[in-house]
Amino acid sequence: MTLREALAEVSAQILCGEDEELDSPVQTAAAGDLMSDILARLGTPDVLLTGLTTNQMIRTCAVSGIRSVLVVRDKPVDESIVELAREEDIVLAVTKLSLFAASGRLYVRGMRSGTSGD
Amino acid sequence: MEAKHAKTREFLFELKVSDVMKTDPFTAHPEQSMTEFRRLLRDRRISGTPVVEDGKVIGMITIADLIPFLTSGEQDCPVREKMTADPECLFTDQLLIHAIRQFDESGFGRYPVVERGSGELRGILTKGIIIEGMLKKMERALKEEEIRQYRASHIFEDISAEYKEIYLTYDIVGKDFELAGRASTQMKRNLKRLGIRPDIIHRLAIASYEAEMNTVIYTNGGIMEYRIAPEEVTLIVRDTGPGIEDIEKVMKPGYSTAADWVRELGFGAGMGIPNIKKCADRMELESSPGQGTTLKVWIYTGNENEAQ
Repeated sequence: MTLREALAEVSAQILCGEDEELDSPVQTAAAGDLMSDILARLGTPDVLLTGLTTNQMIRTCAVSGIRSVLVVRDKPVDESIVELAREEDIVLAVTKLSLFAASGRLYVRGMRSGTSGD
Repeated sequence: MEAKHAKTREFLFELKVSDVMKTDPFTAHPEQSMTEFRRLLRDRRISGTPVVEDGKVIGMITIADLIPFLTSGEQDCPVREKMTADPECLFTDQLLIHAIRQFDESGFGRYPVVERGSGELRGILTKGIIIEGMLKKMERALKEEEIRQYRASHIFEDISAEYKEIYLTYDIVGKDFELAGRASTQMKRNLKRLGIRPDIIHRLAIASYEAEMNTVIYTNGGIMEYRIAPEEVTLIVRDTGPGIEDIEKVMKPGYSTAADWVRELGFGAGMGIPNIKKCADRMELESSPGQGTTLKVWIYTGNENEAQ
């Protein structure tokens, strides 16, 4: 499944992202709101699901090499955050679904945990 | 020219089956009729599919099975009767180069790709998909290579001196969450330009980011220094206070003195220092309350930077 298809699966609105990135296959995902947890334990999943919309969320992804972020629960995303994501070449999308529901839908479509040991 | 060939070969050896396979392939069910299967091939313009029952690949059926069935004029039957049962499969984590050899040796046109262990179908691989997938990956690698052309990755070879070191510093502003993390993301890009190996950059970037966030959250600001030498990178973070009460405690995962507003931003879980330690080859933390803190992190890059 491509990133675009995965995002369509959760009816996400894409805020920024190049075609090249959107058309590349995705297999792993992780969810979390604890930035340290993401840095320490999650490795580099293809997609990060999160409820945080701070610029540190984007920078955390830039630092850990995560290339796409799905914001859940339709949290408002400031234009400056979108701009930062663009600068860092990170795909940013937002869905109305909850963290649980969005994760579940992606799991059903074959995406798996990017965390070792799961 | 030779170096370029070596690069291409190295690149090919890194690719896994899952990097190029087509995901979500069309499948047939064993109880589906051959007539339906024929329609699937025609409508989808494909020439074969895995046969899947209860999530497991139990066979392969292709146009080569369909043609004799059509020409013989025999009665319609389920796919199960005409398929090749228990087909050879490839694994998602298998090296692509091995898969290509398997194509060569068997003469098969397509392989189902399954996950090792669970045996669940993950994709399909044909020679056409391999070529398309490799071209896409190469285009991307080429772009990255172009960026590498004008980056500073040869600096240590181009400059001669008894001792070589690049020294970069950043001022870190305390309590400023707008800027927090910018030094580390910029530094990550710098390290890329300097041709440091990606896995080492990853560790450095995480250690640096955790240290930067600590400085922003807990201090009134400080300075981050990076010393990049051919065989090691040192990160030194100094602040002027307030210092750490109990160093042994901050080394323990889960210990935190963070205020609620810090936790709301996703920080302050008490993972910072332990995480830095995990990323570092060597770490020193010196602090006395009221005096400030100095954190030193060493990461050895060895001789295996990309430039070499």
